[in-house]
Amino acid sequence: MSSLFKPSSNTAFRIALFALALLFGGGLIAGPMIYVRTPFYTQQQDPVDQPVQFDHRHHVGDEGIDCRYCHYLVEKSPAAGVPPTSLCLNCHEQIWNKSPKLAPVRESYFADRPIVWNKVNKLPHFVYFNHSIHVKQGVGCVTCHGRVDEMAQVEKAQPLTMGWCLECHRQPERYLRPRDQVTSMTYKPKSDQLAIGRELKEQYHVETRTSCTTCHR
Amino acid sequence: MPSLKSLPIAGQRQKVWRGLDEHAAAPALSRELGPEAPPDDATSRRSVLQLLGASAALATLGGCLKPPDEKILPYTRQPPEVTPGNPLHYATATTIDGRATGLLVTANEGRPTKIEGNPDHPSSRGAVGPLEQAELLRLYDPQRLKVVQNRGQDRSWRDFLQAAAARARAVRDARGEGLRFLMEPGSSPLIAHLRQRLTDLYPRARFSSWSAIPLQQVHDGAQLAYGGAYETRLDLSRARVVLSLDSDLLAALPGTLSAMGDWAAKRDPEQGPMARLYAVESNLTVTGMNADHRLRLKPTDVHRFGLALLGRLAAQVPALARYAPLQQRFRLPAESAKFADAVAKDLVKAAGGSLVCVGARQPPVLHAVAHAINTALVSACAAVARPVLHETDAGPRSLRQLSEEMRAGRVGTLVITAWNPVYGAPADLNFGKALSQVPFSVYRSLYLDETAERAGWVLPALHPLESWGDARAHDGTVTFVQPLISPLYAGVSEAETLAAFLGEGDRTAYTQLRELWQSQRPGEFALNWEKWLADGFISGTATRPESPAVRHEQILAAAMQVPASESAPGLEINIVPDYRVWDGRFGNISWLQELPDPVTKVTWENAALIAPNTAKKLGLSQGERVDLGLRGPPAHAPVVLAPGHAEDCVTVSLGYGRRGAGEALCRDLGFDTSTLRHSDHPWFAPGLTVTRVGGRALIAQTQEHHSMEGRLIAASTTVAKLKETGEELAEHRGSLLTAYPGDSYAGYRWGMAIDLSRCTGCSSCMIACVAENNIPMVGKEQVAKSREMHWLRVDRYFTGDDTGNPGVVFQPLMCVHCEYAPCEYVCPVNATVHSDEGLNEMVYNRCVGTRYCSNNCPYKVRRFNFFSYTSDYTDTEKMAFNPDVTVRARGVMEKCTYCVQRIERARIHTRLQDRRIRDGEVLTACQQACPAEAIVFGDLNDSNAKVRKLHEAERRYDLLHELGTRPRTAYLARVMNPNPELA
Repeated sequence: MSSLFKPSSNTAFRIALFALALLFGGGLIAGPMIYVRTPFYTQQQDPVDQPVQFDHRHHVGDEGIDCRYCHYLVEKSPAAGVPPTSLCLNCHEQIWNKSPKLAPVRESYFADRPIVWNKVNKLPHFVYFNHSIHVKQGVGCVTCHGRVDEMAQVEKAQPLTMGWCLECHRQPERYLRPRDQVTSMTYKPKSDQLAIGRELKEQYHVETRTSCTTCHR
Repeated sequence: MPSLKSLPIAGQRQKVWRGLDEHAAAPALSRELGPEAPPDDATSRRSVLQLLGASAALATLGGCLKPPDEKILPYTRQPPEVTPGNPLHYATATTIDGRATGLLVTANEGRPTKIEGNPDHPSSRGAVGPLEQAELLRLYDPQRLKVVQNRGQDRSWRDFLQAAAARARAVRDARGEGLRFLMEPGSSPLIAHLRQRLTDLYPRARFSSWSAIPLQQVHDGAQLAYGGAYETRLDLSRARVVLSLDSDLLAALPGTLSAMGDWAAKRDPEQGPMARLYAVESNLTVTGMNADHRLRLKPTDVHRFGLALLGRLAAQVPALARYAPLQQRFRLPAESAKFADAVAKDLVKAAGGSLVCVGARQPPVLHAVAHAINTALVSACAAVARPVLHETDAGPRSLRQLSEEMRAGRVGTLVITAWNPVYGAPADLNFGKALSQVPFSVYRSLYLDETAERAGWVLPALHPLESWGDARAHDGTVTFVQPLISPLYAGVSEAETLAAFLGEGDRTAYTQLRELWQSQRPGEFALNWEKWLADGFISGTATRPESPAVRHEQILAAAMQVPASESAPGLEINIVPDYRVWDGRFGNISWLQELPDPVTKVTWENAALIAPNTAKKLGLSQGERVDLGLRGPPAHAPVVLAPGHAEDCVTVSLGYGRRGAGEALCRDLGFDTSTLRHSDHPWFAPGLTVTRVGGRALIAQTQEHHSMEGRLIAASTTVAKLKETGEELAEHRGSLLTAYPGDSYAGYRWGMAIDLSRCTGCSSCMIACVAENNIPMVGKEQVAKSREMHWLRVDRYFTGDDTGNPGVVFQPLMCVHCEYAPCEYVCPVNATVHSDEGLNEMVYNRCVGTRYCSNNCPYKVRRFNFFSYTSDYTDTEKMAFNPDVTVRARGVMEKCTYCVQRIERARIHTRLQDRRIRDGEVLTACQQACPAEAIVFGDLNDSNAKVRKLHEAERRYDLLHELGTRPRTAYLARVMNPNPELA
C-alpha cells in the first residue's frame, strides 16, 4: 500500500509552515502599522465631549463669526489659541447671560479658573506645528479641520499622521487657496485647483519643506 | 533589579549615591541581617519571568490603545502682553557678591526658561557667565527651602513677623543694643535706604558683610595707595600689554565679563595690533591658559614678584624713581628675573596701553603697587572709581569681630542674609558655635544649609527671578531686578526681611522699591519707571572714575616691610574660588557640578591639584587619596596632577564638602577647605603637610587625554608666523577631489566659525547649550564612563615638551555638520539625515540606538542616552525645559543641531514678513552666551554675512580636513603674541 502522503508532501508542508510563519510574522509587524492608521486609532469622526456645549454650527454657520474672532492667535503664534473666557463674555455678557448652558463659562470667569477643554487635534509632542505660517501661506482652516461649521461637537477631520502632512508638504499646490479665503468654510476653486495652486505657490513663495527638522526638533 | 527609570539623574533625587553598585544595594539587605541574608522569596525566578512577560505584553498592547487624552487650559483673562506660543523677554539682573549682572530672561507662558545677557546693559554688554546662566536651574530646584522654619518646626511668615515685632520692641528700648546684621555684600540702593532707616531706629545696631570671596584686600590696597576706598575699572579695549598677577580676568566670573569682550578683540590679528598678556600665578587659571608668557610662582612669592617688578620699573620710569630700593631688596631667581625684566621693558614700551591687574587674593601692598604702576604709566586701561559696595570690608576681619561679640554674649539678635557663613567662615573663627549662642537669630536662605541648621528662624529666600530689587552693576550702573514668575514657595526678599525690623513686614519689596525710586527721582519717575524696568537699568548712573593722588611714600614704606627673602621651603596651600560653584553657593545646581572645570576638566568635586614634578617628589600619583594638614584637622582630598601648576604648592578650590541637610545634590561631594583656611591667611599659607592615606578615588574628568598626537586639531600660531601659517592652513581647507556631484544648497547654507584666538575657554557656551537644548545631567559615575551628554565640549590640549609649564590650547567642539557626514552613511534606520540647508539632522523617533553613527563620527560629538535621565523629574523641574526642543528618551542618540529650533523660529518670523533671515538674526545659544564673541553662526550663501567672511579668512581651517567630511563649522587658528625676548 502506498503511503497516504507522497514524500513531496513533506516539502509542501514545510513550505506551507514557512508561509504561515511569514504571514504571522508579517502580520505582527504590518498589523499594528495598519492599525495606527485606521480612523479608530487616529480618532477621526469621533466627537469629543467638552465641559461647555459649544456649538460651532451656530457660531460659525448661523452667526457667520470669522474663525479668527475667537482663535485670534492663529496669524501670529504657533498655537491657534483657544479663546480666554473673557472673550466668550464679550458677547455673552449681553446675550444668553442667564443661560444655564453658559454657567461653566461664567463660573470660570468669576472664579478666575480656566475652563478645561478636551483637546481634539492632538499632535505628538515631538511635532512642532506652527499655525501662523500655514495660514499666511494660504492653507485653509477647512483643509485640516474640516467643516467645523457643520459640527455640533468638534471632531478630528483628518488623520494628522505624518504621511498626511507630507501630502501637502510635497505638493502644496493641491491645497493652497487665496489668503483672503483661508477662513472660508465654503471656498471652492473657480477653476482647476492645481493651476490656481501653482500660481499661489509662486505668488506666496511657498517652499516645499520636507526636511525632518521642519517639524521635529 | 533596580528599575532603570531611576538611574542617575543628577540634581533630581533626594538620595545621592555614588554609583550603580551603591544604588543597587537594597538597604534591607544591609549589615543588620548579616552577610547571609535570606533570599527574598517574594521575588522568585518564576515571578520575575511572569512580570517580564506581562510587562512586555502590556508594552506591546499599550501602543495599540488610543493616544492619551490631553487638556487645554486657556487663560480666563489673557494678559495683553502674552501670546501663548511666543516667548517674551524681560530684563532683570542677578547679583553675585553684591554686584549685578544685567540679564535678559526668556519666559514661555510665564515660566522662565533661559537666561541670557542683557545686550543693552553698559556693564556687561550682553555677556554672561556660566554661574549667572545656571541660576535658572536653581529656581526650579525642588530641594529649595519652602516654608519659614523655627528650630526645625514649620511656621508661617506671619508667625515670624509677630516674633520679630516682639523682639524689635525689646531691642528698641535698648536703642538697638545687641542687634547685629550680617549681610550679603550689597550695592542695592534700596538696601542702603533700609539700613539707614534701621540705624535711625536702632542707633546702636551694627551692620557687617560677609563673603567667602571678599574684595577686602582690593579695598585695603586702594586705601594704602590713595587713602580711600577705590576699585579698578578695566577697559581692555585700549590694552597693549597686560600683566596679570593672579587675576583671573578672562574666566567669565563676576566682574570680568566686559573685559573679556574687549580682550577678545585685541587678540584678533585682523582687528589691528595684537595685545600681549603675561600671567604670574600659582595654579593654572583660565587667564593663565590664555597668556603669551606665564610664570609659575609659589603663592606667597607672587607679591614679591610684583615688588621686584616695581623696583625694575623705577629705573625706567621717572615717576617711579623713588622705588629704586625695591630692586635691591627683592632679588628674584634667574627665571623670574628674566621674566620681570622683559615685562618691565614691555610695560614701559606700551605706556598708555599697559596694565597691571592684580587678583583679589593678593595682599593689599600688591594692589597698591599696581595702582602706582598703572598711574605712572598713564594706563588708559585702568581707571579707579569709588566702590559700589556698601561695605568695603566683607572678609574674615569683620567676621572675627562679630563672632567675638557673639561669643561674649553681646549679640542678642542676629539677622543673617549673607550666604552661609557657618560653612564659609575660616575654621578658627568657629562661627557655627558662636551662632548657636545667639538667643534670637534669623537666617534667610534658599536652602536648609549649614547655617540654617544653627539659626533660630530660617526664612526661605526668594530666587532672583522671583523677586523685586535693585543693585549696582560692576561699573555702578543702577540695575533693576524684576520677577519673571510669582514665588514658587513662601519666600521673602532681603528688603522684606529688613523691613520686618522696621515694623513694615507687610510691605512688599515692590512697594518699597517703587517708593524709594519715586522719592529718589521725583521729577522723572512717572515718565521713566516703566522704561527703567524695560531696559533693566538706569542709563548714565555708572560711578565716575576719579583720579586721586597716589601716596607713593606710604606704598614704599609698606613695600619695604614685606620680608625680602623668598618663601621658606616646604609645601604651601593655595585656596582658590571654584569655577563652577564659586564659594559653594551654586553647589546644588547639577549643570554646574557636571560642567568640567575649564582648566582641570574635573567634574562633581574638587581635588588637590599638584604639579607633576612635585607629585613625583612626594611619590603621589593621580587619584591617590591624601590628607592635607595645616594647623588643624586634615582635609581628605584626591590628588589630580595639574600640568602648569607651580611646584611645591597644592591648590584646592572652595565650595565643596557641604554638609547641609537641605542640599542633597552637593552634600558630601569633594572636601571642605575650611580647615585649611585661617582668618589671618584666608588664601594661601606655608606649612602644609601632605600625607598619603592609601586608596584611590574615582575622579570623573571629561578629558584625560591631553595630546593632539601630532595632528592638526586646535591650531595655534604666533603673530610673527601668521603669513606662513595661512599658507600651511591652506592645505586644511577647500574642496577635496571627489567623485560625487556636489549639492547646491540654493537657499540658506548654514555654517559656523569659531575663532580660537578669541576663545578664552571659559565654558559659558556649555551652560548655554545645556539650558537651550534640555540636555540631561548624568552624575559623576556616568561621567567617569564618558557618558556625559554635553553637546558642546571645550577640549583642552597641552602643547610643548615642558610638562611643568606647558602651552595650552582649547577648542570648543560640537557637531560640525559635515556636508559628507560619516554618521549618515552608517545609520541602518535613516535616523540621521541631511537637510536641504546642510544641517545634519537627528531624528530621535527613528533612532534605535545602534550607536554606529557615534562610532563612525571622527569628531566624537554624538551623545547616547544610556538611561532615561529625565523621566523622574518632578513637575517643578520640568518647568526648566525649553518647550521648543524635544526631551529625549532612553536609547537614542543626540547631538548639536545648530539650534535648529532658533533657525525655524526665525524662518517663520521672517516668512510672515515676506523677507529673508538677516545676518545676525539667528544666534545659536553658544554664540549668544560667548562673552568673547568667538562663535559666529550664519548663512554661508550671504556674501555679507560675518560667518562667510570668517570662512574666507586666512586663518580658517577645517577639522580633520583630510577625511573629506567638509564640515560646516570652520575654525580660525589661534594667534599668540609672544615677546621675542622671552622666546
